Amino acid sequence: MERNAAKNGLVNLIAAAMIFVAAFVVTGYARSLAGQLASVLLGLAALVAFVSWFQMRLEENERLEKLEIDELSKTKDGSTLFKAKDSEVFPASRARAQFEKFFVPGFGVLLFLLEAGGAWLLWHWISKSTTVIAPERAMPALALFAIFALLLFLFGRFSVTIARLENHRLLRPGASFILLGAYICFATALGIAGVKAEFPQADYYVAKVLCVLLGLMAAEILITLLLEIYRPRMKGKISRPIYDSRLVGLLGQPESLFTTAAQTIDYQFGFNVSETWFFQLLKRNLLVLLLAQFAVLILSTCVVFVDAGEQAVVERFGKPVAGGVLSPGAHFKLPWPADRVYQYRTEQIQTFDVGYIPDAQTENEKTILWSVAHAKEENFLVGNREAVTIKNEDADTNDTLKAPPVSLITVSIPVQFQINDVMAWAYNNADPTNLLQDLATRAVVHYLAGVDLNSVMSQARLEAAQTLRDQIQSAADTRKLGVKILFVGLQDIHPPVKVAGDYEKVVGAEQTKLATILGARAAAIATNALADALAFTTTNIADATRQRLEVQALARAALFTNQIPAFEAAPSVYRQRAYFQTFAAATANARKYILLVTNTDDVVIFDLEDKIREDLLNLNVPNNSSP
Amino acid sequence: MKRNFLTIIIGAVLIVIFALLLFVFQVRLSEVAVVTTFGKPVRDLTAPGAYFKWPWPVQKVYKFDQRVQNFEDKYSENLTADNNNLLTSVYVGWKISDAATFFPKFAGGSVPAAQRMLESMLRSAKSAVIGKHTLSEFVNADPKDLHFDAIENEIEQSVQAQLETNNCGIQLDFLGFKKIGLPESITQAVFARMTSDRQILINKYTYEGEAEAQKIKSAADRQASEVVNNAVADATRIRGEGEAEAAKVLPVFQQNPELANFLLRIDALQQSLNQRSTLIFDERTPPFDLFTGIPTSSPAKTIEHE
Repeated sequence: MERNAAKNGLVNLIAAAMIFVAAFVVTGYARSLAGQLASVLLGLAALVAFVSWFQMRLEENERLEKLEIDELSKTKDGSTLFKAKDSEVFPASRARAQFEKFFVPGFGVLLFLLEAGGAWLLWHWISKSTTVIAPERAMPALALFAIFALLLFLFGRFSVTIARLENHRLLRPGASFILLGAYICFATALGIAGVKAEFPQADYYVAKVLCVLLGLMAAEILITLLLEIYRPRMKGKISRPIYDSRLVGLLGQPESLFTTAAQTIDYQFGFNVSETWFFQLLKRNLLVLLLAQFAVLILSTCVVFVDAGEQAVVERFGKPVAGGVLSPGAHFKLPWPADRVYQYRTEQIQTFDVGYIPDAQTENEKTILWSVAHAKEENFLVGNREAVTIKNEDADTNDTLKAPPVSLITVSIPVQFQINDVMAWAYNNADPTNLLQDLATRAVVHYLAGVDLNSVMSQARLEAAQTLRDQIQSAADTRKLGVKILFVGLQDIHPPVKVAGDYEKVVGAEQTKLATILGARAAAIATNALADALAFTTTNIADATRQRLEVQALARAALFTNQIPAFEAAPSVYRQRAYFQTFAAATANARKYILLVTNTDDVVIFDLEDKIREDLLNLNVPNNSSP
Repeated sequence: MKRNFLTIIIGAVLIVIFALLLFVFQVRLSEVAVVTTFGKPVRDLTAPGAYFKWPWPVQKVYKFDQRVQNFEDKYSENLTADNNNLLTSVYVGWKISDAATFFPKFAGGSVPAAQRMLESMLRSAKSAVIGKHTLSEFVNADPKDLHFDAIENEIEQSVQAQLETNNCGIQLDFLGFKKIGLPESITQAVFARMTSDRQILINKYTYEGEAEAQKIKSAADRQASEVVNNAVADATRIRGEGEAEAAKVLPVFQQNPELANFLLRIDALQQSLNQRSTLIFDERTPPFDLFTGIPTSSPAKTIEHE
């Protein structure tokens, strides 16, 4: 019986290897994506079958060695032979121990790398692959994969049954892989059948699912490797090989779920948890519990809760229930799939923006300027009455400079709305929110295309918001959207950022004009005031002069009258006195040269030119032209 | 026994549910459905409700949204009748009017395929219609020259006509311009023109201000000059009056003309020497003639008196 285990392992290995090669060839022939995955998994099955067979051989050798030693110990008891070291006496046992200690974990790591790397690479390869199965090759490939599935299933079921026997545990890893390989080949056949039935994506999706499975297997073996480090090791307790995947065993034998779970729990906790009453109860009533849970799930669909600000539409077998618009609160309905409920935010004020996309970076700025972009703004075409024709006044002819009658403008228009007819909102348009945005944008484009740039930025601005609101509401009503437009705000309307600065300069120029005029007025006031003052001064000086002339004339006359007696009394002395008094007073500050002439032939030259002061001549004048 | 009964009941309910899912399908109010038997359309359903079908692969149900669906075409460039490049994007509302006709026209009743076809029709019609109109018919400050609605209607009618010809089971419900604009290079030119527009106003305000200021200043200068001139004239007149008044005392001086003449000369001499003067005298000028009459040990040649 013991020898049969290794033989069965060898049969499993040969079967897995042969079907792996065959599947690989068929996959290349049919160009099936799922077939690629199936080949990889079958290759892993062959590898696991080989390692498990090898380990079985080692255990077999160890068993034979032990038998031989037992026989010898009975005949040569006490000989020196048995006093030698264990490694020398039990080479097969040592080889098996070394294999389990070093090779099996190493193989576990290798298996993880193959599975994880395979899942990663194949996922990306499948996503980019444009390979399709040729229709004429689908049927042969389908038939061959079905045959592979059948063969693997027969081998797998047989081996799984044998593996339950005592001392046949090492058959289980390969058997589980082979049984899983059978299901994978079956799934691959289904994928190919789907392609044949004009579902071209079927093969692709099966391949994706198998990729996920490969990834899960990698994750499981990684966890097993990590747990292996902390696993409590008890003497005499036979450990489960790392490469014996529980996931593969579960998928290959779904009925063994509980067995696997129990084994896992027992293994990890170190005592028989699966023997407890709770675990047994759970095992006996699992189906009932699952069914009950499903029933509760179905019953839970009989109640619907509508949140505040929302309304819900109830459909019974697709048909709206009469009066089936539900207001906020709890409501009962028939269970799914008979009644279905669709909820809409009716009370809530919803908003979208036309003409700009709010920018998180600039949204918090406190100042909004025309010349600084405060959102991702869109330029709209707008009429431009002034630029249509500009008469060339310099030319004698009536030529005009023709310019496109358009300008560009930036607007920021938030639109707020509320759903007032939930049935119309739900059933008239497939995407009412998007449609409303389209209608609003169209209304803005249309409005701006028909107005003058300067007008809409100034006096027409007030009426623009109301006009747009009416137009959007009208368009929404025409399209039966079931909404009420609450607010259309023309919160920002200005020339594009690139020319906004020039618009600001116009305002600046207007202010400069006023400033210049006011400055001139101020200067005029000063000029007039000073002129008045000068006139006043001139007149007053003249008055003073007149008064001085009059007074002095009278005074001189009086003086003269008094001087006459003195003069007549001593004419010569009076005259001399008057002369010298006047001379002394008049020449007191004058520079005087007195020539006492002794030689009349001398020529005296006076340089009476004014002298410039020496310090002014020595002044250094900076030369600005010098570099 | 009780537990088995419960299990049977729950199992039966589940089986009924799964059977319903396999054999029954729903058509919503917003949907229209086409049922195929081995690929051949056998029924089209427009009314909402629950319907029976054979499970796959015998019968298959294709459901379509019969509500108005909308999409927006690409923002594309076209030439107007007056050779202006115009960028436009149009949104379209369409719906499946006849599911039985629609279903076989597009693979598996593919809505994206239908939209692609509709978009190609739309772009063709849009280009043709835009080419017939001038830019000023799209954008004009004068409402009577703006043909925005008419252009939209033309495009809509053109697409509708093509749909009717093709008989695709599609109905065009509405159409409108979502965006109109100019290519980047033309946009830059428009910016330049807008800047020039503004420059006209800037110059207008700047030089109007300066002209006005100049007028105000010159008027003020003229007014000031007028006031000053009047004042000067008044002053002259007043001084004349003063002199006339002063002249009235001249007969007093006639009493002794010699003295009067001497005094006038004395006054003239005093006034003429009021300023900083340099005087050169010889020894005969009184009182310097005193230098010649006084005996000295060594006669002085020149005495400079500062």
